[in-house]
Amino acid sequence: MSKSGLRKKGMADRIADILISIFLGILVFTTIYPFWHVIMYSVSDSHATMSGGLFFLPRSFNLLSYKMLLNTRQIFVAYRNTVLKTLVGTLISVSLTAMTAYPLSLSRFKGRNVISMMIFFTMLFSGGMIPTYLLIKSLGLLDTFWVYVVPGAMSAYNMFILRTYYMSIPASLEESALLDGANPFQVLFRIILPLSLPALAAIAMFYGVGNWNSYMDGVLYVNNQDLQLLQVYLRQLIGAAGAKGALGDAGDLGPASRLTEETMKMTVVTVSIIPILIVYPFLQKYYTKGVMVGSVKE
Amino acid sequence: MSTMLQSETLHKEKGRLQSFFSYIRKDYMLYLMILPGLVYILLFKYVPMYGVTIAFKDYKVTSDIMSAPWVGLSNFTNLFSRRAFLRALQNNILISVYKLVFGFPFPILLSLLINEIQRSKVKKFVQTAVILPNFVSWIVIYGLLYAILSPSTGAIRSIASAIGYKGTIPNLLTDRDHFQAVIVVSHIWKSAGMGTIVYLSAISGVDQSLYEAAAIDGAGRWRQMWHITLASIRSTIVVLLFFRIGEMMYAGFDQIFAMSNNLVISVADIIDTYVYRMGLEQRKFSLATAAGLFQSAIGMVLVLTTNYIAKKIDPESGIM
Repeated sequence: MSKSGLRKKGMADRIADILISIFLGILVFTTIYPFWHVIMYSVSDSHATMSGGLFFLPRSFNLLSYKMLLNTRQIFVAYRNTVLKTLVGTLISVSLTAMTAYPLSLSRFKGRNVISMMIFFTMLFSGGMIPTYLLIKSLGLLDTFWVYVVPGAMSAYNMFILRTYYMSIPASLEESALLDGANPFQVLFRIILPLSLPALAAIAMFYGVGNWNSYMDGVLYVNNQDLQLLQVYLRQLIGAAGAKGALGDAGDLGPASRLTEETMKMTVVTVSIIPILIVYPFLQKYYTKGVMVGSVKE
Repeated sequence: MSTMLQSETLHKEKGRLQSFFSYIRKDYMLYLMILPGLVYILLFKYVPMYGVTIAFKDYKVTSDIMSAPWVGLSNFTNLFSRRAFLRALQNNILISVYKLVFGFPFPILLSLLINEIQRSKVKKFVQTAVILPNFVSWIVIYGLLYAILSPSTGAIRSIASAIGYKGTIPNLLTDRDHFQAVIVVSHIWKSAGMGTIVYLSAISGVDQSLYEAAAIDGAGRWRQMWHITLASIRSTIVVLLFFRIGEMMYAGFDQIFAMSNNLVISVADIIDTYVYRMGLEQRKFSLATAAGLFQSAIGMVLVLTTNYIAKKIDPESGIM
């Protein structure tokens, strides 16, 4: 405000304001509209959608496609798997990251530099897709739930973010607790973690959003339909194979003739993004914080 | 004389060992705490690094990695004689360069413009809106693109007629001439909002009195934007630019895997998708691993080089 207060609002300035508003307005529209379009399309009657074009409101409101989708078992299976993966995976990841980062944040911890370098090196170089696949296969993790939550459990980047955050906590707090006879686990859980909640929230967001959206693990390691992830199911439905194939028997039910594949696709996209649309305005704050903590160097 | 020295060093050595053990005893819980993380890193990161040796071996599904015979560099010579790999490498570099040239400046421009919004509520709304695509998967984005670009039922029909286009609408998702553009634009669309976070926070650190002084000197808005705002985030821009160059070998596997199809494979195939096809579909594990290793190794050299340069420019920056 102070900045604008000083300026004389001349003609040029006003034109600039208008130009900026128009540009940003178009940008915000192109960001939000596709989401809106898909939702409106999914609740429109299939016949009314045939001509395509823009959708600002539903065309003859109709929830038939939702009824169809909710009649398929697979959408519930896929949803359950993704929710479980997100909850269990995030819990494992945050715990592992929080525990690994703590010793590495202490200067008295011997081996700190060697282990840090080892973890850092994994950010530079990786074995790649095939050796990782062969490892997971030989560990017997193919077609198990654990393949979703264990192989990607810790991100080196998040670990270093958290370690940096731990190091900003005054050492005196830890020392006085140690003098009182607390062991390192008690120090971590009673003192360090409660003081690190903003950073923990941020990395929990990173892991949570990553878990919800990831699908390569589902594509690479899992064939079992009962373990299928929501994103993989979505890919099957909207991909080249087409909605009818992936819907299986339910796709052949009577009312299907009144439904186009397009409407089905839009419906399943909508169903998969609803949770994100609801929570993301709240997540965004922590996300921003996490990016900021990450960009601060020791 | 020498024995005395020897016994002394022995003694010292012993003392050091003793203090080391007493240290371990005192803080053994710290080692207990880091054990799961260490095991995780060794098993899931370092074992696959050992696994890259199959790039130099003739590995068959039936054999194990250890006993497979060494074949030197023949997997690599084989790889570089394959037209499909060279095409994937070329696409990989092209898509990366397009993403860099068109995608890198966009968040900078966006941050500058968002910074010009004076009402903080509007500012917050714009920031929240543009970051939305970052939270959905590439599969969802493919779904959105399909909804917009489908020539028969997509929103593109209205858009085309609004700009007075009368011809037939090509399906951009299956059209070889436009597919790389679709990849680059959708990449910008998804990542621009996220990119503004770092720039906007750098901008918020700019001393406000600079603007006041410039205004008194008669500098208009555009000149303030150019000489103060942009100048003050210059080092951030340079550092991020180098990091982006360091990632050139990775053209976006998740995105291309979600969006490509057989009709556009000649322009959409990148190293990762090539590795996936060769390795997991055609089971040529050694060949696919060689391609992956080539990518990883060049990638590492790029990251180290660009990091070194970034550090030269701004000693505070860099990942090491």
